Amino acid sequence: MNINFTLNGKGMELDVDPMALALDVIRGLSLTGTKEGCGVGVCGACTIMVNGSPVSSCICLVGTLVDKDVWTIEGLAEKMPELIDSFVEHEGMQCGICTPGQIVAAASIDSVGASSPEEVKKYMAGNLCRCTGYQTILSAVEDHVAVN
Amino acid sequence: MQSTDTEFLIPTSVSEALRNIAKEDAIFLGGGTSTALLYKTRMIEPARVVWLGNVGELKGMFASPTEVKIGSMVTMAEIAADREIARLLPGVSSAAGVIGNARVRAMATLGGALAHADPRQDLPPALIAVDAKVSVRGGSSSREINLSDFYEGFLETVLAPDELITEVTIPIIPNRHSSYLRYTPTSEGDYPTVGAGASLTFNGDGKSISTAKLALCGVGAVPIVSSEANLVLAGTTGDDSVLRRAADMVREAVDPQDDERGSADYKRDMAVVFAYRALKACLVS
Repeated sequence: MNINFTLNGKGMELDVDPMALALDVIRGLSLTGTKEGCGVGVCGACTIMVNGSPVSSCICLVGTLVDKDVWTIEGLAEKMPELIDSFVEHEGMQCGICTPGQIVAAASIDSVGASSPEEVKKYMAGNLCRCTGYQTILSAVEDHVAVN
Repeated sequence: MQSTDTEFLIPTSVSEALRNIAKEDAIFLGGGTSTALLYKTRMIEPARVVWLGNVGELKGMFASPTEVKIGSMVTMAEIAADREIARLLPGVSSAAGVIGNARVRAMATLGGALAHADPRQDLPPALIAVDAKVSVRGGSSSREINLSDFYEGFLETVLAPDELITEVTIPIIPNRHSSYLRYTPTSEGDYPTVGAGASLTFNGDGKSISTAKLALCGVGAVPIVSSEANLVLAGTTGDDSVLRRAADMVREAVDPQDDERGSADYKRDMAVVFAYRALKACLVS
């Protein structure tokens, strides 16, 4: 089936199985920044942005992306360099596996209007860091929210 | 992931969706968060999927002084962010705001959540406590079902295969206060050990209770409705000892199972604790 959507600002027309997972389709396009972690929508490593909201690409059937505006870490890194800078400045990463998902989640934070440190913490709670480097990640996101 | 021959249809109206569903092993698809998981593990292998994402008439949300109507394709995030729902139905609002994580809430829809019928879901007890009714359309008829009568078992509802949830209606009753509270021992995004939705409606004097509703998730194969709560609380002023007695009645009503969220005995105790807290929250809200 032909599926049309916008990916990182560019119109896409893909001939794919609509029941395939967005995660697999995106990685199949050599956009391998998006990682698979838990595979059940819990850990946040595979977070992509769909119409401004964070979405777990591992439980997202690609057919439901028809006509949507989809962004991955690759596109957001170019579009929001100041967010990447904030993660670098605060050293908001350790091993790195959760980092793309953390950054995409942070980029999508306007979708819920979180602004106070408590709201940021609650919103980011869905993105796990098994190195438990949460404080630096939250500092990076809080800084980004405060500036924007 | 393996390729399939599943047909994927994208109707733009309810009537088109109802025509699309008339095929064996066809299912409706909302946000897809639950369906994707069931499909990944091959618990379901639909021949046809009818995705409702482009059916605009299912996306409305409407609040009047007498009722709130929420379309079946409204997402959890939209319900949680709505100020009128937060004001009129605080229990429903907070339940929608704690489901899963921000990514699940952005995709998961009201209709999909109700049809999924996992007994650990937060929303059903919060909705049952405020007398939510489910509007359903089939190929040739439509009906309205009390949410308290909607569930038949684990992942099972009274819906026929060709029936579509179109909206949920919640009556707004003066002097009614509602709440939803949950407990999970693991991560914030997990299903709860127990969740309790409650409402207390007061008489004109503002002190005596006319009606009490209490429902629980996580402690049975379906959401558990405690009709005893009303028997104990109606006509009283909701003194602490009466609230505790009403909450204690759920001990016999629930039917929990041992799992990683606690033993059956533990869950029974926690059901009583959270029933009490949810009822008490209605006194101060």
